Amino acid sequence: MKSLVLEHLAKTYFDPYRGTQVEAIKDLSLTVEEGDFVAVVGPSGCGKTTVLNMIAGFVPKTGGRILVDDREVSGPGPDRGVVFQSFALFPWKTVRENVAFGPKMRGVGKVERARIADEYLEMAGLSHAADRYPNELSGGMQQRVGVVRALANNPDVLLMDEPFASVDAQTRMTLQEELTRIWEERRPTVVFITHDVGEAVFLANKVVVLARGNLLAEVDISLPRPRVWDSLVHDNDFKDLSNQVLQLVRSA
Amino acid sequence: MAADQTTIFRPAPSRVRQALRFLWPLFGLVVVWQVLVMALDVNPRVFPDVPTVLSAGWKTIIDGTLLTHVGASLLRVSVGTVLAIVTAVPLGIAMGVSRGISTFLTPPLRFFSVLAGIAWIPIATLWFGYGFGAITFVIFNAVFFVVTYNTLLGVSTIPMPLRHAAASLGAGHWQMLTQVLLPGALPNIVTGIRTGMGFAWRGLIAAEMIATNTGLGYMLFLARDFYRTEVIVFAMIVIGIIWLLLDRLLLAPLERATVERWGMVQRS
Ligand SMILES: Nc1ncnc2c1ncn2[C@@H]1O[C@H](COP(=O)(O)OP(=O)(O)OP(=O)(O)O)[C@@H](O)[C@H]1O
Ligand SMILES: [Mg+2]
Repeated sequence: MKSLVLEHLAKTYFDPYRGTQVEAIKDLSLTVEEGDFVAVVGPSGCGKTTVLNMIAGFVPKTGGRILVDDREVSGPGPDRGVVFQSFALFPWKTVRENVAFGPKMRGVGKVERARIADEYLEMAGLSHAADRYPNELSGGMQQRVGVVRALANNPDVLLMDEPFASVDAQTRMTLQEELTRIWEERRPTVVFITHDVGEAVFLANKVVVLARGNLLAEVDISLPRPRVWDSLVHDNDFKDLSNQVLQLVRSA
Repeated sequence: MAADQTTIFRPAPSRVRQALRFLWPLFGLVVVWQVLVMALDVNPRVFPDVPTVLSAGWKTIIDGTLLTHVGASLLRVSVGTVLAIVTAVPLGIAMGVSRGISTFLTPPLRFFSVLAGIAWIPIATLWFGYGFGAITFVIFNAVFFVVTYNTLLGVSTIPMPLRHAAASLGAGHWQMLTQVLLPGALPNIVTGIRTGMGFAWRGLIAAEMIATNTGLGYMLFLARDFYRTEVIVFAMIVIGIIWLLLDRLLLAPLERATVERWGMVQRS
């Protein structure tokens, strides 16, 4: 099983200038099964980004273990794809080259990786923009590229830290529906960080609530799929679940 | 408001128009020069008129001396600059990725960057003798520190998420260097080269007055010994024109081709 397992994960930041410590994550255990979609919510400063950065290998942990597909994580690697809030597209590469970046690093030939990139760009409805540079794209288009760039590398786990927080409300709903559609078709394993409870409930199979560095609750979201906003906004189960999660976050 | 609109939507001027817009003030200067010299009846030893300078210049073109001097100067600048770039860029990147290296090297770099350029002429002539070696060394010095600093600046201002993204997509050390650090620092590197070559060109003229017997600086110096004011003025004009050509036809387009195309804002 290509699951993601966190065992007693802990992170204490040291501030060498002030000599202070911040216990960002105290003791966090969590299992994400292969093909699952887990959303992590919680109030600002509860440690969501810290958890994701440790899984991604950007920030060293100070305790516990992180296992992806039974291998312990030490540093960033292509088994964990990351989608960034700031998009983080390479400005000196075209959209196609950005998406082909992962395959290129693996040594996939030029023709083959262009084919892979074009396939994923078509999935994101961006075929027409393949030869453009990122700065020529709207924020929503840039993040579509960010998502398929990560997917095109076939990671075991897809990590997303508030990926839709910097686009406007309409675009955000479109991107959420597109991500859901992609997930329903391909079933990648996803850990999705957000402070937007509605977004978490809409997207995920399971919502995890963090509070001050600890796991507060796990809520299963058994809403039927395919999910689209037009039907879910009026759905009572969706409203109930959203309220339940919202209460948990506010009590955190 | 309406005026702003028309400015915004006016099509970009053609290259010819751009060139004309750049050249006509210089042409105006030449006219003023000629008028002043004639009106005030200036002694040609002090400042010659335009035709005198042009004919003196024409003679240096015909007899090949101009070509010799320009060739010597350009060769020194090219060799010194290329050597400086190929050493400064790796050093700047090493400093940009390793805090240890940059902490260690920053003080000496600060120290030597103040001295960069013509302060090295005396010792350079002791080491390399008069001529090519000493002058190329001075050029190297002028470009090296600026490019090192700008490369360091470029690398350290690459947004962290870009490096993280590359690592998460499987980039190793070498790929990080060629795919992220170099292109990411390129806008600053190009700016560094442009600034450094500006220093180098000035340093070159000074060095050639002292340490050689060819080159545009030497041409100036020699003409002074023979009271050939018209040759001095001509050489000064050539020095200015060559720099304008280098900057406008080589360095500025290089900057445009990379930085503006990618929409990367200039960061220095
Ligand atoms: N590099 C750091 N150095 C010191 N403390 C840090 C660092 N990064 C985060 N922290 C602290 O760790 C705690 C958790 O931060 P984190 O960014 O993980 O929260 P978050 O849940 O992502 O918040 P938000 O919703 O605002 O993004 C906070 O108290 C924060 O101040
Ligand atoms: Mg965060």
